[in-house]
Order: sequence, then structure tokens, then C-alpha cells
Amino acid sequence: MTLAETISSALGLEGAVGQFVGGFIGAAIVGTFILANAAVAGPWAKRKITAAFTDRIAVDKLGPLGIGIIIPDAVRLISKELIVPEGVDRPAWDIAPLLIASSAILGFAVIPMGQVGPVEFQLADPEVGLAFVFAVASIASVGLVMAGYASNNKYSFLGGLRAVAQNLAYEIPLILTGISVVIFAGTLQLSGIVDAQQQTLVDLGPVGIPAWFAIVNPFAFILFLAANMAEVGRNPFDIPEAPTEIVAGFQTEYSSVYFVLIYLGEFVHIFLGGAIIATIFLGGPSGPGPASIGLLWFLVKIWGVFLLTQWARSALPRVRIDQLIEIGWKGMLVLSFANLVLTAIIVGVIA
Amino acid sequence: MSLEAPEPELDVGETPDGDLDYDELADLLGEHVLDREEHVNAEGFVIRPDSVETVLATLKEEAGFDHLSCLTAQQYGDRYESIYHLKKYDDPTQELSVVVPTASEEPVSGSAAGVFDTAIWHEREAYDLVGIEYEDNPDLRRILLPETWQGHPLSNDYNQDQPQIVPLREHANPMEKRTQVPDRSDTMFINIGPHHPATHGVLHLETVLDGEQVVDVDPDIGYLHRCEEQMCEQGTYRHQIMPYPDRWDYISAGMLNEWSYARAAEDLADIDVPEYAQVIRTMAAEMSRIAAHMLAIGTFALDIYGDFTAIFMYSITDREKLQNLLEDLSGQRLMFNYFRLGGVAWDLPEPREQYFQKVRDFCEYMPGRLEEYHNLLTSNELFQMRVLDTGILPPEEARSYGCTGPVARGSGIDYDLRRDDPYGYYDELEWDVITDDGCDNFARALVRLKEMEQSARIIEQCVDVLEDWPEDEREIQSNVPRTLKPDHDKEIYRAVEAAKGELGIYIRSDGTDRPGRFKIRSPAFCNLQSLEVMAEGEYIPDMVAALGSLDIVLGEVDR
Repeated sequence: MTLAETISSALGLEGAVGQFVGGFIGAAIVGTFILANAAVAGPWAKRKITAAFTDRIAVDKLGPLGIGIIIPDAVRLISKELIVPEGVDRPAWDIAPLLIASSAILGFAVIPMGQVGPVEFQLADPEVGLAFVFAVASIASVGLVMAGYASNNKYSFLGGLRAVAQNLAYEIPLILTGISVVIFAGTLQLSGIVDAQQQTLVDLGPVGIPAWFAIVNPFAFILFLAANMAEVGRNPFDIPEAPTEIVAGFQTEYSSVYFVLIYLGEFVHIFLGGAIIATIFLGGPSGPGPASIGLLWFLVKIWGVFLLTQWARSALPRVRIDQLIEIGWKGMLVLSFANLVLTAIIVGVIA
Repeated sequence: MSLEAPEPELDVGETPDGDLDYDELADLLGEHVLDREEHVNAEGFVIRPDSVETVLATLKEEAGFDHLSCLTAQQYGDRYESIYHLKKYDDPTQELSVVVPTASEEPVSGSAAGVFDTAIWHEREAYDLVGIEYEDNPDLRRILLPETWQGHPLSNDYNQDQPQIVPLREHANPMEKRTQVPDRSDTMFINIGPHHPATHGVLHLETVLDGEQVVDVDPDIGYLHRCEEQMCEQGTYRHQIMPYPDRWDYISAGMLNEWSYARAAEDLADIDVPEYAQVIRTMAAEMSRIAAHMLAIGTFALDIYGDFTAIFMYSITDREKLQNLLEDLSGQRLMFNYFRLGGVAWDLPEPREQYFQKVRDFCEYMPGRLEEYHNLLTSNELFQMRVLDTGILPPEEARSYGCTGPVARGSGIDYDLRRDDPYGYYDELEWDVITDDGCDNFARALVRLKEMEQSARIIEQCVDVLEDWPEDEREIQSNVPRTLKPDHDKEIYRAVEAAKGELGIYIRSDGTDRPGRFKIRSPAFCNLQSLEVMAEGEYIPDMVAALGSLDIVLGEVDR
């Protein structure tokens, strides 16, 4: 039973009203759940992970392991003065943070997040699920350009330009690599892609290696991981922000709630990237144990991707914008095409 | 055919045993030399203001004086005077001062900018503070003080009661002398700094960009100008000046800076330093050097990696260990004030064995730690991609801009005052001067990493020497008079190898117990000027990397 159906039946509603109310409340629950993850990641997990990499302690005073810092930090960030610089292009300047944050959350509408008990956490499962996810994830780029252009600041402007260049260079390899998975699975529907990964690839007696696409085609997996790093703008590809070069780029002029929104959007975006990776390469919510703890496995996978981004942030230098473009257009694009053609041939021969 | 090895070619005025024959040099210059002065470090040739360029060009090309170390400007009762302190990169003990007096009424002098690029900034500073005008200097405008400053504060007739800065509208057109950037509509002017994460302090880079590429960069300095030279002129030689050097390069390089003043003043006043104190000085100075290089490497990584990465925290952790050692030694963590004229303030901390053990532990810990830095930095392919072949500084340019220290050594110039102009206890110890022919950002970082290894070697040897020193011969200070009054008009220019390069001090005594003129030759000031060579035509990130690889400290640039 899906989350929406569970809610509507619990409320005793049926028909279109039931669908609407169930879907609405279900979306609120999923959105809140994702935001809660981002809240743990931003003020707490990020600090703790970076501190572990750099031999520090980080927050440790409030609550176990300092996790209580989330509440004071939230109050602090939201209660700061919202400074609106002179000459910013409103309302574009105001819409940009909303767009960045909301576009990332929107992607979770179609992600199959697994079960909690009998309830299936997936709001919608359209035929074109994967295309939808890529489409909404890309809206964030529009937000970055708007922020950069509307800020009336040269650094922001440079950041906005870099964001466009970077996203163009990486979106195409990202999607091409995604398509190779679609060829394997034979469907764009995300639940279908997850189902296609459920067989056992190799049986090693007690342990069966599942047919996750990361194992079937590790080359595509690594390619996708790298492209995703650029897509979410983390090291070594945090070029649109590059604090030591262009002073946080497109977000230079944002403070208070807008700053929170942009940051929130970035964290949700990392999780969305993780969710896509988990869904199309790591078997979605599947894992050892009964299907009813699927959400747990899903969380483990997206937090794994988050950990990877933070690891890269602590250890990898930022590449230069021209190098990034070169890697994108001359390297990744060629490789992803090669991957696509090879996949098509293999699938064609087998099938 | 002779079987003997060919004699190395000698410059004009150079004797076979590496000394200078000033008579021969005077003959070379002929009638240009009006008079000859005796400074403590070298002879000074007095020349006419209009023959500056000819004389310096002759000296550079024929007599091998390829290093314009410093320019000191000052005003006497009857004249202004500019002193060009010349040296050779091959042998910095061969020095010559070129003294250019100019009239009080109309202080106009020729410029050395056509011979040495470094002269542009030095002359700008002299113009700014003292008021001598250098004709033919392509860029003669204020450098340390704001553009609308009124008067020249180090000239005798400076009126301290007048308003010092006036609004632009009351000022003569400030843009008049400004160098014009080619008027292209597709470029963008951008202010990088004075508040920018990558400028390491209050540096302001007026940058013109063409897309992401740097077309023109003009460093605007002086935000941290604290009149350090003036303050030193207010203090007495014996005790009151020593605390100031700690505040020039305040990145824990204090011991090195203190040595520059100690060396100049000791030579000026003929003070001997006991051998034991020299060993302690050498050890303390090298600890300072490692601490300073640690921060340089850490912030360089910060510029390239972004935000707070492991390398920055590691280097800060290691710097902390050195600061603990220096604190045990001097009682201070940053502003050591540990050197005294004629020695050091006090002996090593008791119990000595324990201190030696701590220092030894550090020296043993260093190589493994450096291995880690090499793993994280120099052998990281992404890092190499970013810094190899960027920020190129060819050796000829480096010489012309007066670059010294790791910046020069990263351009393959084998120049280190610790070896070439020995002082302290360095010539008794075994260590190597590190050079690298890369000329790029990578080379400069690599030189610093390797220098730390050498410094650890020096420290270890110093500990060996100190451990075996007989207890009754531990003389930490020689007998220095309470009041020092060097002879009237005695002049000296002396330099030491500080963390950033050649840190020189010029002192002219006026017969009192305070210096008549105190001039600091800051290595970071000279190195920073070469940024335009490295940055122009490069991408913004490479300019930021080049700036990081220069390792400037604004406290020292602005003084």
C-alpha cells in the first residue's frame, strides 16, 4: 500500500478527495522527512564528518555527540537580519533561493524510498520517472543563474556564469549514463528500474550478489558518481561557489533565511543525487532483511553518498573552470557515449 | 693546452678571492662617481641624479650587480638622498651602495626602473613617504598611503597638524597619473580584496578580467601600514627596538625578524655575540622558519582546495607543536622578543634534558609528517593539475623584481643568505639549499616543503651542539653597554634570510641612542610586486594560487 493510500484510508476518505488529501499529506510527510535529513546533515553531520577528517572535535556540547546544536543553529540562522543589497533585481533575487530549495525536494516525489512496515514510501510512480527526476533536478541551475545575475555583484555574476558552464558540461554525461541503465532495465519507471535489480547475479552459497547496476556495470556507476559530484557542485567541482576565488559566487549576497534556503537546497540536492544513485545503481531500498525495513537501507545509501561528498570536500582540490569544461566535454561526454553504445550492443546481443 | 680548470669568469671589480675592488669599480664608472663614502657594509658611490640609470645599467651588465636589494630614501638638512643597495645573486657579500643626492628645493632624481623592475615599487615608496620624485618611473604614485594624502610624512617640512587625508574633490585629480588599462569593452574591472578570503589579510588587487582570465592586476597595499620604521626610529637601540620586528612578519617568523635587527645593529655598534648564543639563535630561527612555512603550505592548500581541508588543519597542528617549543624557549607564542643585542634574553629552559628531548621528538616526527604532506599535496594528481605550469616566474624576471627566499629558489635561483652571507652558526652545520627549476606555483610549494626538512636537520644539529656545551661556558649575552651610541653618520645595510626571503635593515646613526633613519627591506614587499608577471593572462584561480604561493604577510608588506 502506498503512503497516500494509507493516509486516505486511515482518514476514511475515498475517490478523488481521498487521493488529493492522501497525496497532499503524504507529500508533506516525505518533504518533512527529507528536510529533517538535511537539517541533520547541515548543522551537525557535515561538521562532525569534516572534523573527523581534520582531527578536530566539532560540536559536542548539546545532546549526545552535540546533535542538539541543530535547534540553536536553526534559530540563529533564521533570526539573522536579511540584508537586501542595493540594486538587486527583485523579484528574481527572491525567487532564486526558493527555486533552488524547492526543485531539489520536488525530485523526491517519484523516488521509491522503500517500505516502513507495510507502507510503501513513494508518492508517485509515473512512466517517465527517471526523466522527471533529471528534469526537476536541473531546475536548480536556473536558480543559480538567477541568483548570480540578480545579485548585482561581480563575484555572484562570475559564479552564475560558472554554474551554467558547469551544468551544461555535466548534465549531458549524467543523463547519458542514466540512459544506459534504462537500456538495461527497459523502462524509465523508477520502480521498474528497482525491480530489474532484484535478481541475484552470482550465488555464493549463503550470500547472493544482487544484480545491482553498480555491480553489473561499475564503469557507468563511477562515471555517474563523478558527474553527480559536479551536478551537486561539491569538491572537486565546487567551482560556482569557490569561496577562495569568487567568495561563494552566486550566494555571496544572500543572508539569513535566503542563505538557509540556498544551503538547504544544496543539501537536499546532495541527497537527491544520492537517491538517484541509490535507485538506479544500488537497487533502491533493497538490502538484507525483510522488505519492510527498506527505508532504512535507502537512508544508508543516500547517507553513504553524502559521506562521499564530504570526504571529497576534505581531501580533494578544486579543479579550474577550464579544466572542468575540458573534463566534461572531452572526457566524460565521450566516455558516457562509449558506455551507452556498449550497453546497447550488449543488451541487444543478449536479448 | 692548460690542464688547469678554467678560472671562473670574474666580473669587473671582482678579485679572484671573491672580494670587491672598489677602485676598479670607480674606474668603470669614470666621471659618474662624484665622491666615495664609507658605509659599514660596503662603499657608497655618490652620483648625479641624472645618471642613475646609466650607472646602474653599467653596474648590472658589466660588474654583475644584478640584485637591487633595497632603496633607502631620506632627507638631510641640506639635501635629499636615495641609496640604492646593490648586491649580486651569485655572491651577496659583494655589495655596493649607490648614493644619489638631490636638491632640497627640487627633489627630482632619475629612476632605476628601466634597469630593475623592483625599483618601481621601491621608488614609489620613497616618493610616497619622503617626497623624492623619480623621473621616468612609469608608475610614480603613492603606494602605502591613500591617494589623497597631503604631503610626504618623512620629509622634514611635513606639517603634522594639517588634515592628512582630504576628500577626493579637494584633491588634485587622483586618476591623472594612473596607468591606463587598454580600453576594451569586453573586460570587467573587479576589486579582489581588501576583504577577500584569498588575499591573506588586507590586500587589495585591482584586477581587470577578460572573462575568467586576468588581463591586468595591480596590487594596492598599505592597509596595514603602521609606521614600523618610524616607531623603530623612536626607540633606543639597546632594548626598545627589538619588540618591533616580531610585528612585521607576524606569522610566527618573529625570531627570524629579530635576527635581522640584531645583525644590523650588532654590526653597526661592533658588538660580539657569544658562540653559545649564536647556536640558540640558529635553533630558534629555524623553528620559526618551519612554523612560518607550515602556515604558508596550509594556506596555499586552503586557496586551492577550498575551505577547511585536512591539510590546513594538519599544518596548523604541526605549527602548534613548534609554537609550544618556542613558548618554552622565549615565554611567548607569537611576539617572542627573545633576541638581545649581543645574544639572547635567557638560556634554554630547565630542565634542559627535557627540552632537548621535546625538540628531538619533534625532529623525529617531522619526516613522517612531511611524507603525509607530500601524499596529500605534491603527489595528488588534481593538485598537480592545478599548480603545475601556472604562475610562471622566469628566473630573469625573478632577479629583476628582486625576488628572494622560496620564491626565488622556486625559480631556480640558488640564493640563500644563510649560506651565501653566513651569519649565526649556519656555516658550522650541514644542510642544503633547496632549489627547483619549475618556476611555477608547484615549485614554490615544493621548495617550502623541502626547506622544512632542512630546517629540522639544522635544529637537530643545534641540539647536539647545545647538549655537549660545557656548563661553565654557556654565555648567553656579551657585555653590551647600557646605552649604545654609534658614531655619527655611520650607515649600514644588513640582511638575513627570513622565512619569506631577504629581510634587510638599513640604519643610519645620528650620534644619539636612537637611529637617525631606519629602513626595512621587506622580502614580501618585493615578492608581491612580481605577482603581475605570474598572474597576467592566467585564470582567476591561478592568480589566487600564485598569490598563495608567494606567501606574503601584509604586516611585512606594509610595515
